[in-house]
Formats: sequence, structure tokens, C-alpha cells
Amino acid sequence: MRPSMSRGLAADHGRGASRTHNNAGRGGRNNAGRGGRGGGAFRAQNIAGRGLGVRGRGRGGGRGGASGRGGMRGGNKAVIIPHRHEGVFIAKSKDDALVTKSMVPGDSVYNEKRISVQNEDGAKVEYRVWNPFRSKLGAAIQEGIDNIWIAPGARVLYLGAASGTSVSHVSDIVGPTGVVYAVEFSQRSGRDLVNMAKKRANVIPIIEDARHPSKYRMLVGMVDVIFSDVAQPDQARILALNAAYFLKTGGHFVLSIKANCIDSTLPCRQSIR
Amino acid sequence: MLLLFETPAGFALFKVLDEGKLSKVEDLGKEFSSPDSARKVVKLKAFSKFENTSEALEAATKIIESSTSKGLRKFLRANCDGEMLAVADSKLGNAIKDKLKIECVHNNAVMELMRGVRSQLTELIAGLATQDLAPMSLGLSHSLSRYKLKFSPDKVDTMIIQAIGLLDDLDKELNTYAMRVREWYGWHFPELAKIVQDNILYAKSVKLMSSRDNAAKLDFSEILPEEVEAELKEAAVISMGSDVSDVDLMNIKELCDQVLSLAEYRAQLYDYLKNRMNTIAPNLTALVGELVGARLIAHGGSLLNLAKQPGSTVQILGAEKALFRALKTKHATPKYGLLYHASLVGQAPPKMKGKMSRSLAAKAALTIRYDALGDAQDDSMGLENRLKLEARLRNLEGKELGRSAGSAKGKPKIEAYDKDRKKGAGGLITPAKTYNPSADAVLGQTPNSTARNVEEEEPAKEAPVPGEDKKEKKKKKKRSEEVTAVPSDRNEAAEQDGEGEAKKEKKKKKKHLAESDGVQNDDEGGKKKKKRKHAEAEQDDEETPGKKKEKKKKKKTED
Repeated sequence: MRPSMSRGLAADHGRGASRTHNNAGRGGRNNAGRGGRGGGAFRAQNIAGRGLGVRGRGRGGGRGGASGRGGMRGGNKAVIIPHRHEGVFIAKSKDDALVTKSMVPGDSVYNEKRISVQNEDGAKVEYRVWNPFRSKLGAAIQEGIDNIWIAPGARVLYLGAASGTSVSHVSDIVGPTGVVYAVEFSQRSGRDLVNMAKKRANVIPIIEDARHPSKYRMLVGMVDVIFSDVAQPDQARILALNAAYFLKTGGHFVLSIKANCIDSTLPCRQSIR
Repeated sequence: MLLLFETPAGFALFKVLDEGKLSKVEDLGKEFSSPDSARKVVKLKAFSKFENTSEALEAATKIIESSTSKGLRKFLRANCDGEMLAVADSKLGNAIKDKLKIECVHNNAVMELMRGVRSQLTELIAGLATQDLAPMSLGLSHSLSRYKLKFSPDKVDTMIIQAIGLLDDLDKELNTYAMRVREWYGWHFPELAKIVQDNILYAKSVKLMSSRDNAAKLDFSEILPEEVEAELKEAAVISMGSDVSDVDLMNIKELCDQVLSLAEYRAQLYDYLKNRMNTIAPNLTALVGELVGARLIAHGGSLLNLAKQPGSTVQILGAEKALFRALKTKHATPKYGLLYHASLVGQAPPKMKGKMSRSLAAKAALTIRYDALGDAQDDSMGLENRLKLEARLRNLEGKELGRSAGSAKGKPKIEAYDKDRKKGAGGLITPAKTYNPSADAVLGQTPNSTARNVEEEEPAKEAPVPGEDKKEKKKKKKRSEEVTAVPSDRNEAAEQDGEGEAKKEKKKKKKHLAESDGVQNDDEGGKKKKKRKHAEAEQDDEETPGKKKEKKKKKKTED
């Protein structure tokens, strides 16, 4: 699902619009951040010039730049439609946002916006907005990754859980039937992670070094997916070790590569190889 | 061969039924694809359950360190007779070999076996279903995390937040009940309400005398001062209240009991709060006092949350209504919020309160961060900052006076601030050569006391009196105050705090009384001061309910 905004904007003739177009064209995937900021500038201009306003809304169809700011103004009425990936939803309103169904209604993990929607049978369901600027997994989904393998009921091993902002969304996706084993070595982030896990029964916090999976073998069962976001030079080896211990036969993994971390002297492509 | 497998529920020992399969490591995975084939490869030989979470936690921590726990050793000794033991960790294997003389093995085949067992765990262990294992795993992981994060129960700020909330609730309740007692008893003896102002004393008197006819015979000396007692007895004779039956008096007495026990509990709670504040945030307590510190933490939600706020936010915490109103209507924003009740802001002259509040907020933000995120064991940083702020206050007042006094002559030389200088504690103003009052004390003191420059040697007991050779009495008072404040703060907080308090109080009122015996006088706390939470801490708790009302009104006007 390529972001369609580049094509849509080609017809525009506002200076702000073309600026955004350029940003998107330069590589939507890598520059989601830049697009967002450009989009912000675009929107600021919007306030002044009403002529561009219409195009702004049209651009919202491609879920790249401005909506990535995660800014849903309060009081918006939103329609929730399911995303291609199971367990993930899209909230359609003036700006679109990626959301997940909250397992703990009424609670914000990292001050994200929440959307309350009423069901057909009158039950209120709450969805939390997934900010792709704070979460790599969210950004990947928004940029159109093929398959994340994380689905309701899955068991996930999350390496590099940090403070648990992405983990909370993964926990929302897998739901009460699934399990998320969140591994984080840092004490400060670990504290936040444990506090988040206190409210969610399907997150198991593990404050250990992911390099030694034997140390937490007692807590983890076999998992279906390993999500690794550790940003270490030997992250491939870490993933392999953890997979040997815990990944089921026929399981999958999702790996986030920071080329700078592998080796800051090598050019990017070589690190990934 | 036996296989040792650790689960959150306990230790499991499996017997490998067909050792021949181990040679073909790749195919081993296929063997475990279904529960039946898995059962053909391994069989559960023994299972040792953990009795409770603490045992599980202990076992888990030992596993992390690759050493054996007592339970594990017992289990192995009982069940592993003579066979080879396959373990997941070679260091653990070595430890087992050392302690129990059991041969251990760890290789690829073992790891494959482990994988297989892990995937079929619930099938292989008969009594263990997935839904049992999950909560155990969760509980164990939380205990382990707490252990790793060195969770210490006395560093929990939830206690503070609850305690301060309860303190406010108690005050309200106490006030309500006390008012009710007054009203109720006023039917029988209305004059007493005007004679005895304090709620607790009122309740005690009512409890002692029940009916006013007994007032003449009874002795109120423990509860009331003499004149009040005399007034009471007089009024009791000529009272215009009507008679009340014994049953009613009994009920009123019970209410009085309630009031008194609540007051006692409030005192206890306050002590507890002080204790906790000193443990959890000692530097903040040293800087602004227990009550203000606790209110700040409660307002911020937690100490960590509060630490994330910048100094400007700390300055106006508690005045949000005024702040946003001012922002919306483009007026001036409030200068202080909860910090208004800190002693440092309270003792500043009205024009300087804003500046003090800002400086105090800046230092307070630093101390909060130090307390929340650093290893703060003592309150040295808070005291240091407090001294700096006091010096700044003096400086500010000095500037103000200087402006009103006019000429630059006759003012003392103000030296640059140098924190490494030994004398004083970062003092900005050189202290005066003051006269040592112990020289003219009558009892047991030699007239040759040498303390000329008092700041050089600071004997803890003696404090100088401001000399008469300085024109600006106020400045000199400050200086002497600084000097006494320094030994005050250096020594135990409690005792000297009261004296330091006394000094500050005097300064505020700009009295010209001789202060020679000011330091030795311990009941300075009895002086009523407006808006002095800090002083209030030292005072008798009986006066606090009344004060709290004042302060609450004050706070409401701040908002």
C-alpha cells in the first residue's frame, strides 16, 4: 500500500503543497518524520489560505504526513473501520489515525488520545491512537508493511520493550487470549514497563538482558512471533538466540534495523546485509 | 538420561525414553510436533511444586545467577539417582556437579529437547493446564521485576498522597464535629462557646463537667488557664441555658470523645506524614517543609511526575484556575500556587514574594528531581539550597532598603559569593563584629568570652545578640539570624529548627526587642503567625485546626 499522496498532490499549485509533495517523494518510508513536519507547516498555511483547505482534506486520504502528527482534535466524531491487519483499526474523521482497541478503557499509557465509540448494542468501546512517530511498529503499519504476524490470540516475545508504549498497543492487538513477553534491560524504562504491565494482565514484564535468554527461560513459553527492537550491533545474534529458545517451529519474527547501530562506519546497505 | 526443566509452577524432571533419537538433532523437533509423539520421547518423572511466590522468586533468582537453590538441590537429590542430567545452562550444570556430584550435560541436542518440551509443556505435565501456568508466570515475573528494580516499600509516594488527603479530610470532619458539639452543648451552657475558643479545649471541658452545675466543684487547671477557668465558673452559675437530662449529656459526652480521639489521630497522622516525607523526599522537606512538600507531591500525582515538571510549573502548581483564567483573558498570571505557604515565601515582604517564589520554585524543582531520581539518603542538598535562598532573600531586602535609605555610604561591603569559602554557608554578606551576650550573663559564665567574629567559630549553644553599633537594625538582625541559622541547620534539625524558627519570626515583625534570651527561649512557637505552615509544624497541634481553616481560606483565595 504505497502512500498515494504523492500522486494526488501533483496537481496542486500551492507553494506549501509542492513542498509537502517533495518531502513525500523523497522516500515516504524513511522520512515519515519529515513528511509530518512538512505537513504541519502545510496545515499552518492552511489556516491563512482557505483555498488550500480543500486539498488538505483530500490529502488526508493518504495516511502519511499530517495525520501522522497524531493530532486528533478533541470532540471529533470518528468512524472506526478495521485495518487490513487484524486487531488494528483506522479512525476516519477530519484526519485519519491508526488506532487499537484499548484493553484498559479510560486509561492513557503515554498521554495518547483516546476515541470512544458506541457499538450497535450500546456498549462503549474505547480505542487508543497509535502514534507512528513514537512507535516503529505503528510507523511500519502506516507505511504499509505486508504482514506483522501479530494477531489476536498470538503469543509475542517483544525484545527491547523500553517504557512499554509500543508494547501496550501490541497487547491491545493480541487481546486477552494472547500473551506479550516484554523484555527490557534498563531500570528506568523497566519501572514504567512494570507499571504499565500492572494494568494489563497479558503483558509479562522481564527486566533482563536479551542477550541471555537462558536467564528468563523460566518465565517464557513458546511464542508465535518475536518482535525485536533492540538497536544493538549484534541484534541478529540476539534474535537468533532467542528464537532458538522460544520461537515455535514455523514462527515468525519482525526485526527493526538501525543501520547506524550495526556499524556506524559502514555504509547503510552493508550493515543490513 | 534425565532432563531438568524449570517452569513458573515448579521444577520438572523428565526421563528421556529413547536416547537414540538424540543423535539426530534436526529430527528431534518433529518428534515434538504432536503430544503423543512427544510422550514417546520424554516422560515426566518428578515434579516439585513451589509452595508460594516467595519460594518461586528465590528459585528464579538463583537460576538467573546460575546457582542452585535449596529446593532444587533437595529435588535433585531425591529423584536423580545416578543418571546423567541435561540442563539448559552449562554454568548451572557445573554448579550442580559441584554440589551434588551429578553429571550434567548441555549441548545442541539438549537445547532441542528443551524446545520440544517447552512447546508441549502442558501436555507432558499432567496436572498443569495453560490457564494455571499463565497467572503463575505473571505473578512470578512481577515479583522478579520488583526484586530487580530494588523496589523498596518505604520509598513509595502513594503513602504520602493518601496521608495528606486523609489529613485534609480529617480536618474537615474534626471541624464539623467540633462545631456540632458547640451548638449542641450551647443549648445547655451557651456562654461556654464564647469563653473557650479552642475546639479541643471545649470538648475537654464539656467532657469533664457534663452538666454546668458541676463546674463550680471541679478543677479545670489541666485543661484551661486560670482566668478562663474563673470566667467559666462564673458563667456557669449565671448561665441562661436550659437544663438537659443525663441521657442527652451522655450523648454529648460521647461526641466529645469522638472529637478528642479524632484530634489525637490527626496528630498521629501528622507525625506519620512527617516521617514518610523525611524518608521519601528529605531534600524537598528541608527546603519547603513537610506539608507543602506533601501537597506538591499529591498535586503532581507522584514524585516522579512532579520531577518531570519544570520550575515554572512548580511555581504555580495549585493555582491552575487563576492561571488559565489569566491566560484566556490576557491578564497577569499568578505568581505563586502551593508554594505560597512555604516558609521562605511567607517570610518575604509582600513585594518580594513573587521573586522568592520564583527562586524557590527553581530550587525546589532541582531538589525534587534529586529526590526522585538520585540516591538521596540525606537532606544536605535541600539545606544547602535553603541557605542560598535565605541569603538571596536578605540580598533582596537589602537592595530594597538600600534604595529607600538612599546613600551608598555606611553599607557593609558585599563580597562575591564563593561556595568554597569555608566561613559561613555561602553567605553573601560579611557578618558584623557583634557583641557576645554571654559576656554579661550572670550565672556561671566567664566575662572573657572571646567570640568576636562569631562566624569564625560557631559554638552551637551561644548565639550573639545584634550589637547596637549598626544603623540598620533589620539588616543586622538578618545577619545574626544567618549566623544562628547556620549552626541551627548544621545541628539536629528538630531542636534548632525551633530556635531558627523563632529568629525568623522575630525578623518578620520588625520588633526591636532585645534578643539576648531569644535563642534560649523555647516556647517561641507559641507566637501566632499568619501563613506560617512551617512554624505551625512546631506548634501545638491543638492550634492547628483553627489555623488550617485560615490557611484553607487562603488557598482558596489563591486559586
